[in-house]
Amino acid sequence: MPLPTDQDLVTDWKSRPAPLLPLLHAFNDRDGYLSDEALRAVSQGLRIPLADLFGTVTFYHHFSRFPPGTNAPRVCTGQVCRFAGGLELLETMRKDGATPMPCAGRCDEPVPVLTGRSVQVGVTVGEFESRPSPLPVANPGGLEECVFAAIRNPGNDTLEGYRRAGGYSGYEGALGSDPENLLTVITDSGLAGRGGAGFPTGVKWRAVREALNPRPGDDTRAGPKSVVCNADEGEPGCFKDRVLMDHDPHAVLEGMALAGYAAGAEIGFIYLRYEYPETADILDRAITEAENAGLLGENILGSGFSFRIHVRRGAGAYICGEEGSLLNSLEGKHPFPRERPPFPVTHGFENRPTVVNNVETLASAAAIARRGAEWYRGLGAGDLAGTKIISLSGDIMRPGNYEVPFGFPLQTLLNDWAGGPRPGRHIQAVTMAGISGGFLAKEDLDVTLDEPSVRSKGSMLGAGGIMVFDDSRDMLEVAHSCMEFFAHESCGKCFPCRIGTQRLTERLAGAAGPGVLAGWSDEVEDIGSVMKATSACGLGMAAPLITESLMRYFPEQVAAHVEATNS
Amino acid sequence: MSNPLEDMSKPDVIFCIGTNMTECHPVAATGLKKAVARGAKLIVADPRHIALAEMADVVLPLRVGTDVALLLGMAHVIDREGLVDEAFVSERTEGIEAFREHLARFTPEWAEGLTGVPAADIVQAAVWYGEAERGAIYYTLGITEHICGVDNVQSLSNLALMTGNIGREGTGINPMRGQNNIQGAGDAGALPNNYPGFQAVTDPAHQAKFAELYGHEIDLEKGMTKVTALELCGDKIRAMLIDGENTVVTDPDRSHCEHALKSLDHLVVIDLFLTETAALADVALPATAWGETDGVCTNTERRVQRLRAAVEPAGDARPDWWIVSQIAKRCGFPGFDFESAEDVFNELCSLSPIYAGLDWDVIDKGEFHWPVPERGHPGTPILHQGVFENGRGLFRSLEYRDPAETIDDEFPVWLTTGRRLASYHTRTQTGRSHGIDYLLPEETLEIHPDDVADWGLQDGGLCRMTSARGSVEIKVAATNRSPRGTVFTSFSFNDTPVNYLTGSGYDPVTQTAELKVCPVRLEALPESL
Amino acid sequence: MSDPSSETTVGSIEVDGKNLNFTAGETILEVTRRHGAVSGEPCKIPTLCYDERLDPFGGCRMCVVELEGSHNPVASCARAAEDGMVIRSSTEAVEKHRKTLLEMVCSENRQVDVDPLSGYASQELKELADRYDARSGRFAGKKSGKSREDDPNPFILRDYDQCISCYRCVRVCAEQEGDYAISVKGRGFDTQITVEFDGHLKDSACTFCGQCVQTCPTGALADRKALRHTEVPGEIEKTRTICTYCGVGCSVDILTKGDSMVGVQPAMDGPANHGALCVKGQFAYDFVQHDERLKTPMIRGEDGELHPTSWDVALDKAAQGFLDARDKHGRHSVYAVASGRAPHEAGYTTQKFIRSGFWSNHIDNCSRA
Repeated sequence: MPLPTDQDLVTDWKSRPAPLLPLLHAFNDRDGYLSDEALRAVSQGLRIPLADLFGTVTFYHHFSRFPPGTNAPRVCTGQVCRFAGGLELLETMRKDGATPMPCAGRCDEPVPVLTGRSVQVGVTVGEFESRPSPLPVANPGGLEECVFAAIRNPGNDTLEGYRRAGGYSGYEGALGSDPENLLTVITDSGLAGRGGAGFPTGVKWRAVREALNPRPGDDTRAGPKSVVCNADEGEPGCFKDRVLMDHDPHAVLEGMALAGYAAGAEIGFIYLRYEYPETADILDRAITEAENAGLLGENILGSGFSFRIHVRRGAGAYICGEEGSLLNSLEGKHPFPRERPPFPVTHGFENRPTVVNNVETLASAAAIARRGAEWYRGLGAGDLAGTKIISLSGDIMRPGNYEVPFGFPLQTLLNDWAGGPRPGRHIQAVTMAGISGGFLAKEDLDVTLDEPSVRSKGSMLGAGGIMVFDDSRDMLEVAHSCMEFFAHESCGKCFPCRIGTQRLTERLAGAAGPGVLAGWSDEVEDIGSVMKATSACGLGMAAPLITESLMRYFPEQVAAHVEATNS
Repeated sequence: MSNPLEDMSKPDVIFCIGTNMTECHPVAATGLKKAVARGAKLIVADPRHIALAEMADVVLPLRVGTDVALLLGMAHVIDREGLVDEAFVSERTEGIEAFREHLARFTPEWAEGLTGVPAADIVQAAVWYGEAERGAIYYTLGITEHICGVDNVQSLSNLALMTGNIGREGTGINPMRGQNNIQGAGDAGALPNNYPGFQAVTDPAHQAKFAELYGHEIDLEKGMTKVTALELCGDKIRAMLIDGENTVVTDPDRSHCEHALKSLDHLVVIDLFLTETAALADVALPATAWGETDGVCTNTERRVQRLRAAVEPAGDARPDWWIVSQIAKRCGFPGFDFESAEDVFNELCSLSPIYAGLDWDVIDKGEFHWPVPERGHPGTPILHQGVFENGRGLFRSLEYRDPAETIDDEFPVWLTTGRRLASYHTRTQTGRSHGIDYLLPEETLEIHPDDVADWGLQDGGLCRMTSARGSVEIKVAATNRSPRGTVFTSFSFNDTPVNYLTGSGYDPVTQTAELKVCPVRLEALPESL
Repeated sequence: MSDPSSETTVGSIEVDGKNLNFTAGETILEVTRRHGAVSGEPCKIPTLCYDERLDPFGGCRMCVVELEGSHNPVASCARAAEDGMVIRSSTEAVEKHRKTLLEMVCSENRQVDVDPLSGYASQELKELADRYDARSGRFAGKKSGKSREDDPNPFILRDYDQCISCYRCVRVCAEQEGDYAISVKGRGFDTQITVEFDGHLKDSACTFCGQCVQTCPTGALADRKALRHTEVPGEIEKTRTICTYCGVGCSVDILTKGDSMVGVQPAMDGPANHGALCVKGQFAYDFVQHDERLKTPMIRGEDGELHPTSWDVALDKAAQGFLDARDKHGRHSVYAVASGRAPHEAGYTTQKFIRSGFWSNHIDNCSRA
């Protein structure tokens, strides 16, 4: 079959929703990179100014403007992969044109290497293999689970398998009754955003339902409400959404359709991180199955409700996990965060009311719709409702995803469920919220896994990624690589984050800054304080938790670092 | 313009015809681009694929000179599709019945035959404009510089009247004026048919008014237009004063124009430079330039604004008003004892009903759009609100006419002329400003790449372009901006004096020259092969 | 400035103890500035990425203010006023953040002080650095932005070493000019202002309107033509007038030093242009003081050539020629063409010359060509 022409590609995509990213990917898949001619064709076809398009393309890590582009391997150099030899692997593969990529969400099975549309894992050249992402082990505490309850069933990733465990029964039930009933169940369940922000899901859905439809004649806002599934799992040390999508894709689709029905939306997008190409295929397959079964599409099951879901792949930008950036990216704009308010519930995709939910939130909603609010509330410890997936990685015997009740003790997870540190080592520190919660160490490792407890230590639970560092690790080096990640991923919109992440990285590298501890600390604290107070989005607010917690728990290591810088 | 510039960002549908606004009125075009960014629909009718066409929702690439046919086709569709604003039409217009009858035969398919624009696009444009809550028309010299310039304007007026797109915010019929004070020259009475403030010279009441003011009764008949005067130089016209115009280069049929000025007994030219025209003068007088001159100008939206001097005049240069007044005094004419620009302007205000509410101090901040009929009046940003000055809006039943000359075996190519962003008129100013040459060092003839090949020309090579009146040598530039069979250049560069070729005809009413249409033939020059 | 007490107000906010009413959609900053302009106590909230003509952006965070009930300060430029908001615009904490931000900004540039000929807003960073005493040298590190010395265009200096990534140029080019020529390449600290494919301005969608130059707060984009006059002695003075080119009638300020015209800047409050100009209005002004100007009256001599002479001689000869024509060929043999480029006073006196002197209407202007 001859390769599609520029015009074929443009024609294929130009009248579909959110066409820019998939059209760029289509060129990228064809050529391996985005040529000047490709950009000109896209610019003309989608009527995006060329300069604008050029700038936007250069924003994304994985879009290459020159060959070999995506045909050359990208090696994960995230924190855990570094421990597994990722940097050395990269060096040996440089001759093949290999380049580094930030944490690619395979910390349970390092090191992922991405070439074209395929991920392989391994630590030695010649011994890579492609394999499905690891399933969670059976719940070590024997506790009842929500999102992992059926995930280990063989065939659960097919419609048939999913149905066997009761899949889509909640949805079918909801479609037969007033959306108000569904909203009540979700609200009463206490389900809150599992991407990190923790906003009550029922309140969000209701807000979109009640948001005024854009006025007819208001050209820029006319059109349907939307549901966006945030599957841009870019937080280092987080890989929970991947396992849900890979092994329980219909739960995500069901959750989205439920959100659509409750909120009065007609169109859904899954914004999937670039580094999960196989997941895109799994989701596409599941969508086709659901459409063929009449669960998605027009007038679903005769209810009058219509809903379609589109998968849109990102292109390598952590900031696109921030909902404003994600929406801008989806719309084909420069992926800067948006000022809030207004919030997506009134001004989301294409400025229309939009539900933006995390993968885990939506999968939970599907289970709640089936089993009820009471059931879900009961899964949490004490007064806390429900469960949370924790992605555990680093210096721990059994890394992987664990579904824990809210309020579960961290030490129990680390030592009882996950087998504790390597023999002869003890745990020096862990990160929280991927790396966005900074470090916990020493006596603060006694937290329970819920926001009130973790936040009381100046950190946060967030999306639930926890990386473990034993006493063999140089915490300055860890802090530096975390800050380097933030600097690499800072979008450049707001001054405190753009300059602050750079200056903190330089100071953690010993590349610049005062050589006296007092002066060094003053600068680092002032930068951190201005970032936390004034940054335009969570990235800039979270990054200084790294330096803050580093200086709190490891003052001697900091003093030695400054001393070494000075000499 | 019937509406102010700030209205340009407000329409739902914008119809631009014969205006290359992004090059000729770039700042005005920014308003239009904002409207488009906001979601307004843009219809662009132009023979060339200009920058505006790139932004358009529908492009109507009509053959040069067929505007009336296109607009008749659109009017037909508006009527046929029931998009006539009946309330507006019955309240404020007359002649719709006859007009409707007239329109019946001008189908979009008929218009396609003349214009070359697909009928479906004509229908689309008409429906959008007809359905618009706020539809606005913008045009420039692409409408007026034709033998049927008046018909073109009246055809646009028909569309606006049918649809009620006039007299409201974000609507209107909006010609963009080309020169900084071309509107003001008219306001000030430099017209053969009007006293200051557009008071017709043929009205005996006006004659009486000015007789008293100027001390003598003035002809009740209109004066000659410049075009006629140039025709009659050396015959009826013997002495001429030309202020700040490089007539020789800007006007059509350059040979004729040079010959005319040379035939005068006496030519006085006031200008900043010794232009091609000043070089023919018996007396050339140095005027102060912009930046050296206090005064007043009126922009395209009828806004009256102050010019202020920032530097001393060059050498012995003097303001135009001083020079003309001095000549008048030395002729022994009374009433020229002005001591300042302020004196002159205030006298103008005292004579002009549309300036009655203005004086030198009142216009300091440039807030007023004329007419300002009395002191304290807020000015009139939007004309024709509620009522037309002359009563009811009249529909005119027009017929398409061919241009003065059409292509044939001898001159098989349409030449159309215009302007470019980086040069202004004959470059007396832009050509003497540092850096402009970097953007536009020379003039070229824009030709469709396929025509370049078919006609044996070479991109970047020289060709000779010849019309019935003359010929020039010019460099070829292959570009898709030009449609097949039509070529384009500007008249700005004296070394490619394209106005030796133009001048095929004039509008019978306004005597505006048909600078937009001129059949030519092209030959590759041997040295470029 | 609209009247703050007008009927369109929808509520009021308290800023530093004062109740200020607002209209629908106004941001905290807009409300505060509008009231400040009326009250004579100008709003002191500092900004760097703000241009009142552009959509709120919220990049520089200099304008953050404390909002009661909000954990973090909010960007006043982007936050819409809501009835009952209580705001403190310059607490010690907020002022400290502003100073830190400015010190960080100063640390990324080659220099803070630039020639005011650079552009209309070019002194904004310098003025804030002075106000907050931010040239401390703290936060040293890598500089951002890479200048494009290779771009030979004569109008716009692209000195990105001075760039602070406020994106005012990008936004003004898109939102005000509608050319979308300028874009943002890369991200984070590596952000670079550029154009399509990193080329020269001439090969891009740039029309050299100069709006980016005039909104740049650091002189990173600067008026290369004006900067040729850096060495001319004297203070810069500005004279408000109207552009000499097309019929749009843009308001401009002519910049002079002594009797030298050294530049043009758009009037941000110009009623027809609101700070916009095109390449001609912005950059094609120096014909005025060009050597080739006609500086003295000329008359044609016996030799058929034009020769310089005095005004007296020239004016007498001019007048005599018209009188001779009238006397020999009648009053209708005299004709005048007024200019479409000279002011009203020229057109008025010219028509009066014909009408009051020759009692005819043989007067026209150059609008027919």
